Amino acid sequence: MAACVNDRGRPVDANEDPLRDVRLADVPLDEEVILVRMDMAGDDLEPLLERGIVPGCRVCPVRHSPAGGPTVYRVDGSLVALRRETASCLCVRSALEAAGVLDPN
Amino acid sequence: MTSREASPVLLGGTRSGPDTSPDRASAARPRVALVGPPNAGKSTLFNRLTGLRQKVANYPGVTVERKSGFHRTAYGLVDVVDLPGIHGLSPRSLDQIVTRDVLLGHAEGEPGPDAVILVLDATRLESHLMVAEPILALGLPSLVVLTMADELGRRKGQVTERGLSEQLGVEVALVNARAGQGLEKIERFLEALYTGGEEVRACPVVVAAEAEVGPRGRPLPVVDVFAARRARAQALGQAAHFQAPTPSKLTERLDSVFLHRVLGPLCFLAVVVVVFQSIFAWATPLMDGTEAVIATSGEWLAVRLPDTWIRSLVIDGVWLGVGSVVVFLPQILILFFFLGILEDSGYMARAAVIADRMMHRVGLQGQSFLPLLSAYACAVPAILAARTVEDERDRLATIFVAPFMTCSARLPVYALLIAAFIPERPLLGPVLGQRSAVLLGLYALGFLAAVGTAAILKRSLLRGKPSPFVMELPPYRLPTVKSIVARLLDRARVFLRRAGRIILAVAVALWVLAQIPQAPGGGPPPVADSALGAMGKVIEPVIEPLGFDWRIGIGLVTSLAAREVIVGTLGTIYGVEDEDETSLELQEALRQDLDLGSAVALMVFFVFALQCMSTVAVMRRETGGWRWPILQFSYMLLLAYVTAWGANALL
Ligand SMILES: Nc1nc2c(ncn2[C@@H]2O[C@H](COP(=O)(O)OP(=O)(O)OP(=O)(O)O)[C@@H](O)[C@H]2O)c(=O)[nH]1
Ligand SMILES: [Mg+2]
Repeated sequence: MAACVNDRGRPVDANEDPLRDVRLADVPLDEEVILVRMDMAGDDLEPLLERGIVPGCRVCPVRHSPAGGPTVYRVDGSLVALRRETASCLCVRSALEAAGVLDPN
Repeated sequence: MTSREASPVLLGGTRSGPDTSPDRASAARPRVALVGPPNAGKSTLFNRLTGLRQKVANYPGVTVERKSGFHRTAYGLVDVVDLPGIHGLSPRSLDQIVTRDVLLGHAEGEPGPDAVILVLDATRLESHLMVAEPILALGLPSLVVLTMADELGRRKGQVTERGLSEQLGVEVALVNARAGQGLEKIERFLEALYTGGEEVRACPVVVAAEAEVGPRGRPLPVVDVFAARRARAQALGQAAHFQAPTPSKLTERLDSVFLHRVLGPLCFLAVVVVVFQSIFAWATPLMDGTEAVIATSGEWLAVRLPDTWIRSLVIDGVWLGVGSVVVFLPQILILFFFLGILEDSGYMARAAVIADRMMHRVGLQGQSFLPLLSAYACAVPAILAARTVEDERDRLATIFVAPFMTCSARLPVYALLIAAFIPERPLLGPVLGQRSAVLLGLYALGFLAAVGTAAILKRSLLRGKPSPFVMELPPYRLPTVKSIVARLLDRARVFLRRAGRIILAVAVALWVLAQIPQAPGGGPPPVADSALGAMGKVIEPVIEPLGFDWRIGIGLVTSLAAREVIVGTLGTIYGVEDEDETSLELQEALRQDLDLGSAVALMVFFVFALQCMSTVAVMRRETGGWRWPILQFSYMLLLAYVTAWGANALL
């Protein structure tokens, strides 16, 4: 279980209004979002980071697994399963809403 | 730590001129390491290049050790090293440490590689390019191989080799490693290691990778390091005109069934039932065939051998001993057929996802589930596979419980006892028979013991905070006939080799012990009075409460070498006892010695006891001492004894 550590060291971007933060765990299926912040301790972060799950990437929940098990997300064309605890430490913003603000394209 | 100067010129200089002598000392051969993220196709490519059969399967973390072979080029041999998959050079698990050590030349007794083949999955180019940066920054001559060209094309993605090559400054080859298409560039690269051709060059762009390789004190927060790396990887992808493939339709369809709330677990169950039912139902004709072959060849041999001690040794000792184990080859192969399909298709990773909740409750990670599943084949590779588990406590717990999972060596023992004592009766119509159900029960018992033990360990000796679960789900792939056949052949070879070595040696030793002391009239004594019988009688008091006699006792002792040896041992003992017996009437003989209670006790004993010296040895190696193996052996023996006693007393 990845404890949600508040990453105080990071300066808060003006665009990042904490009240508008949505957690990846709460995003409905098939809605593409953009990862904006990861509230996790460093050691727990790395397995995610090195698989390309970094701030700025697009993530889309595609499937819940049986009995409240991990949810499958599409990241960069590959599928990755994450537990709810992990997904609820990831702050995201809807891809549509963020278009022009965070989207590099 | 790295020599950034390594350049094609330097390499061409030291290795100028073709060297065609194939027996050049391997130390002087150029060495090429296959590096890349997990499940990218490194071992597939390795097998292509070397003709070896390194294990390949469709889930990340299959290779956990370095393995080397050689490839014959027109100029000479090139050593090729297959390595565990990595995401960077800051390893968190033991298998990744293996790769880092080989790459940096820290591995014992071997210098670093002369060149690197970086293997990336073309369908996931952008995230896989993230690993390119730290690897190319090593400054070694490199070739980038993009595998899965076939899938990329089928799913309407694209990438240009030239574009990526211009960006990276090294050659890029887009290949189908599975079918062996597009390997010419790899061949030229390997040849160029001898000729000093221009294909062999290091990436000229030295990327800031110090944060990766340096000691812990990182200059930048990791998040920023990786975010920047990903951005660069994306830019590279764009420059190479990378067009991401559309999601695999097959994968979407299959996942909507296999990960479905209701259908998913049902499919899981169905798979299990089919496997067990077929181990009995399908195997019967095959087994009858094998049995007939062994029996007739034994008889054929018997009439041709002189009626002296030679015939007794060959027929009663060896033939019946080894033969009684070999008849179980079909069942073993059926099990491996199914395991092969599950592993090659990509279902294993889904099973790990379905099991994650339970693993989490126990205190283990979902990551531990894959090694545990591979323990159904054999605990030894499973214990090695536990290297992929990052958390050390979790790894130890995984290693500790792996021997409870029912390995294939137990299968002959279970199959023999079930066939002898459990009448076949349909339980669920044609779907599940009583025998398959009992077999299933024995497997379930082992699994429960594993889970229960893990739960206890994680709450006592190995307490620690649970780590997050990140499981990559590979796309489903159709298992190829070739790979399944290769697996079965390998398995058959392993099984027969064990029968030919351990079981043969044990059979001969038992036969000799059964001959002494010679009876007054010459000739062997009744087995019960022989040295063998005497030894069995020493053990008898200990196992009597479990309902076993001295013969089973001998079997339990010899099965310490390997579990299936007990079957061979009983074959030999009954063979020597009943002189004119030339067929495998082992079941018949067993029924006279055991009743239902003691037969079940024996099965239960085998569920729990750690009768396998290879497991103990590998355990010592992987835990770095005798502490864990001794604890595990005693714990499992105690559990086996108590439960077998209970089973015998109750039934
Ligand atoms: N279609 C297709 N499948 C491939 C290709 N190369 C490898 N595969 C499949 O990809 C899966 C993974 O291959 P492996 O060779 O085991 O991958 P690996 O890089 O050694 O993986 P690890 O040992 O876990 O690091 C297997 O199912 C292969 O059959 C390819 O070029 N095309
Ligand atoms: Mg491999």
